Amino acid sequence: MLKQMLQTDWDRLANERLADPVNELEQSPYDTKLGLDMANDAKKVVAGSLNIEAFHKKYHSSLLGEFGNLFTQEPVKSDGSSSLKWGMVIDLQKCVGCDSCTVACKAENRTPPGISYNVVLEEEIGEFPNVAKVNLPMPCMHCDNPPCVQVCPVRATFKLDNGIVTIDNDRCIGCRYCIIACPYGARSYDFGESYEEEMLSFNDVTSPEYGIERGKREDRKTPIGTVRKCNFCLHRLERGEEPACVETCIGDARFFGNLNDPNSTVSKLANSPRAFRLKSESGAGPNVIYLK
Amino acid sequence: MALHAKTTALPPIGNFSKQFKWWIGILLVLFAVGGYFIIERLVLGLDTTNLSSITPWGAWIAFYIFFVGLSAGSFLLSTLIFVFGMEQYERVGKMALFTAIVCMIVALTFVLMDLGRPDRFMNALIHWNVISILAWEIHFYLVYITLLVTELYIAMREDLVRLRTHDTWRGMIARWLTFKNSKITEETKKRDHRWMKILGTVGIPLAILGVHGGTGALFAVVGARGTWNSGLFPLIFVISAMVSGTALLLAIYVIKQKVTKKPIDQEMVISLGKMMVAFLFIDLLMQFYEYLVGVYGLEDGHLQSMAIQMGGPYSWSFWGVQMFLGAVVPIFLVFYKKTAKNMHAILIAAILVVIGIIGVRFNIVVPSQIPPVFEGRPFGDYYPTLNEWMVSIGIGAMGLLIFTIGDRLLPLEESVDTTELEG
Repeated sequence: MLKQMLQTDWDRLANERLADPVNELEQSPYDTKLGLDMANDAKKVVAGSLNIEAFHKKYHSSLLGEFGNLFTQEPVKSDGSSSLKWGMVIDLQKCVGCDSCTVACKAENRTPPGISYNVVLEEEIGEFPNVAKVNLPMPCMHCDNPPCVQVCPVRATFKLDNGIVTIDNDRCIGCRYCIIACPYGARSYDFGESYEEEMLSFNDVTSPEYGIERGKREDRKTPIGTVRKCNFCLHRLERGEEPACVETCIGDARFFGNLNDPNSTVSKLANSPRAFRLKSESGAGPNVIYLK
Repeated sequence: MALHAKTTALPPIGNFSKQFKWWIGILLVLFAVGGYFIIERLVLGLDTTNLSSITPWGAWIAFYIFFVGLSAGSFLLSTLIFVFGMEQYERVGKMALFTAIVCMIVALTFVLMDLGRPDRFMNALIHWNVISILAWEIHFYLVYITLLVTELYIAMREDLVRLRTHDTWRGMIARWLTFKNSKITEETKKRDHRWMKILGTVGIPLAILGVHGGTGALFAVVGARGTWNSGLFPLIFVISAMVSGTALLLAIYVIKQKVTKKPIDQEMVISLGKMMVAFLFIDLLMQFYEYLVGVYGLEDGHLQSMAIQMGGPYSWSFWGVQMFLGAVVPIFLVFYKKTAKNMHAILIAAILVVIGIIGVRFNIVVPSQIPPVFEGRPFGDYYPTLNEWMVSIGIGAMGLLIFTIGDRLLPLEESVDTTELEG
């Protein structure tokens, strides 16, 4: 009689595909035992029998010793706060004032007339013949202590754990107090205007920033009558892409990343002597950093 | 019997004078016209206004703080009578409370008009952001209105109980508002008096700190706008509320006495006029220091908005309305020997002060939002549209209608007055 295949037999068969962990790890220049131990404990974390914080605590020092500078992951903080803080660095020496960030932003977020989450302020300085043109691209600063969040009477605007300041357009009552309070002018009220006349079916496509399909843009329907702002293209970040303005910048003047990670490009640039922040005296703590 | 004589002296509801009919007619027409524009605004949204993301607050916000100020001012004046026992002003006591209620209704209607999504106003109660001054204000307003209504009811209670027996509209209202076994005894008199004092006392900090100081704080906490961002700002709000509240009650009292052809208590009017001007002096003094400190601060945005306020396109409102009509002329009328005892002159002074405070509110709200918050961004350009004016007129007419009807149906007049007349 044929042998009856049991669960364990199927598992054994499947396991034959797997490489031998010891052999595999021996080929890498790093500690084999550490790898095996971590893998075992990781299984326990997944199964719920080991706390993630305990796991990080257990291996943090040995990982630091093994990988040195290459090891960048911070241990999870016990208060549950995230170690991720999105930030942007804009190199003003590289900015050519082409406004393609503004165009990319408008195209990505499908903002109506009169609203642009990103603007480039331009000014001519000096006297002829010693003149220069300076450009200042400005998205939302995603402040550490956002004045707009302080004043909102209904908690419709708030700071996410990843540092992004965003709006719940389904809760916003349109009082515009946040526009009054923002020291950078980064917020706009949606008066309901539309490009429909010059751009066929503009109203038919929902801006992807909301993450949900809202259907046709119509009178008295959200987000019309509420306040809108830059949210660092959160919908793009969620699928692993950079904000549209960063991706499109022709001079590669914009950098985007985690400011809480000391090894990220943005952190390193933010610590350079060229770095400065707009209205840094205001206490808002902007997370868009400029290089002069 | 004095009691009986008093109640028959109340104007009967069914008997409308020609003036009264005209008055109601004009108000109804204004309210209907305003109603058309209110509907237009609700259907088309804030696109009907000249507001923008640079100047997001305009005429309706100015009117909102104006009416909150009138309300707080009238209420604080009523506390002079009910708490501090200044009986010389008793004739305007209940009127002051009722004016305060109507002004709050008008103020909140202006806020509702100004919301981008008026249908979501309940969110302010459901999702309370405890660090937002505006959220606190909305709660304070509701508590304040409740307190005003309770206090007015207690103030009217005796008259309502007396009116129960009357076979008129007023009697019917009184029967709705009182219990069958309500009575007036020495004990209830004492109880009512005590409660008036308690509510008035609770109301003073509520009106000063909560309602109007808070409304000033709503502006003062905004670090991004230099002209508002000072500790003196909420105090200026409170003082200018006292100015406008006193002026309004003075005007209402004189006009009402004239229309109903009753004698005017000249002494009280002159005294109220002096009080109004005293508040006005404190107000001007505070504003002077506010500007002085602002100028010495040499902060760009602050200087710019002051330049726009005093020398820009809105300077007529500052020098013409706020300073000349709202301060210089009334002070002259109240102090000049030939006009100081003239009821008409004091009435004009009071009306001018109220108009002047409208100018003050506009000069607070609009010029500060013209220079951009961030240098390099565009300047604002705001002047109310026809829609904004007409909506404002409509809401104002609504307030006057509520006031007139309430005045007819409720025993708001000081009872001593009529007994004396009959006596």
